Amino acid sequence: MLRCGQMIFAQALLCRHIGRDWRWEKQKPQGEYLNILAAFLDKKDSYYSIHQIAQMGVGEGKYIGQWYGPNTVAQVLRKLSAFDQWSSIAVHIAMDNTVVTDEIRRLCRTETRGTEAVYNGHSDACDTSFQWKPLVLLIPLRLGLSEINEAYIETLKHCFMLPQSLGVIGGRPNSAHYFIGYVGDELIYLDPHTTQLAVESSNSCLIEDESFHCQHPPCRMHVSEIDPSIAVGFFCSSDEDFENWCQHMRKLSLTGGALPMFEVVDHLPLHLSNPDVLNLTPDSSDADRLDRFFDSEDEEFEILSF
Amino acid sequence: QPFKQRKSLASRKEEVIGIKAKFPTKIPVIVERYSREKYLPLLDKTKFLVPKDLSMMQFINIIRNRMNLSATQAFYLLVNNKSLASMSLTIAELYRDHKDEDGFLYMTYASQEMFG
Repeated sequence: MLRCGQMIFAQALLCRHIGRDWRWEKQKPQGEYLNILAAFLDKKDSYYSIHQIAQMGVGEGKYIGQWYGPNTVAQVLRKLSAFDQWSSIAVHIAMDNTVVTDEIRRLCRTETRGTEAVYNGHSDACDTSFQWKPLVLLIPLRLGLSEINEAYIETLKHCFMLPQSLGVIGGRPNSAHYFIGYVGDELIYLDPHTTQLAVESSNSCLIEDESFHCQHPPCRMHVSEIDPSIAVGFFCSSDEDFENWCQHMRKLSLTGGALPMFEVVDHLPLHLSNPDVLNLTPDSSDADRLDRFFDSEDEEFEILSF
Repeated sequence: QPFKQRKSLASRKEEVIGIKAKFPTKIPVIVERYSREKYLPLLDKTKFLVPKDLSMMQFINIIRNRMNLSATQAFYLLVNNKSLASMSLTIAELYRDHKDEDGFLYMTYASQEMFG
């Protein structure tokens, strides 16, 4: 899973720095492409090296060498991206199968001020403009228990068709894969389970890049064989690109038949009229306060009350 | 052993009728851990009486809190072992669409599988 995390993130960086239409040609790596390769070199100090991913996983409760799930690697990549000022991307992980667009806009909109004019303690708002940080959106999901619920298959396929798609990380029991598309009822995926010699780079101007790319055609499997634990990835280069993605997803949720894998909402759904409910903020870590909502009267049932 | 297999359909039906008479504004929900779940703890109760207007988001956060999960840990509550519920739905709406023939609403929780 660590390698698959690198794979989907490398695709995100390609979209960010070179563009989605870029194709690999056998020639000496240079420019931004060379920088992307360097970010994934198996060296301690590369931004997204296997060393960094393993080390950052300790904070997520994983010891070095332990297997990751799609959510774990997504969380780790989000943390590592904070140190990557060259890419300057916003990475958002949508939890609880819910994409809250306000949260994302807040994350991506960065203020840039032309002149720092301050009058009586108030900054001059006229010169304030907003810039959109390119967005990497990862949505960890569980689309069933032991196998994928068939009702999700059409929606899953649809994700690959969006211009913002980065593919899907997941796998089949025990083996991590990076899914990049589909044909009919088969998913197309890249399998990182090939041992290769580590790429040595004495100086980063010379990187042999053949082993970064697929030496053989990608693999295929029937879509029903995919393990239900996945993370779906998208890249939105601009404000408009993100709005376009939101529209796509909303349209998809309105078409009958297919079950949406996640929901796109503007705000956190706290629209209920009962004022006591509104006090129960979703990010509240105040366990004591929550305990008031549990009062056991029955021997067997746990009774939840407002 | 799952709740459904511990009790007969008849006794489960009877239980629902009894509890609904006693708590007409609450919905009987069964929350169980996926049998192959390796990371999430067991809840000390499996039977819940949930206010009708509680949203799925609130319900999930109550359970997340109970387990002391951080906001970045994977936690999924699958309705009828199959599908993720929209967080903005209320328990009453879920109940309307997904209740079992015995009158309970069944949910199973799991994190994510790990891959090598």
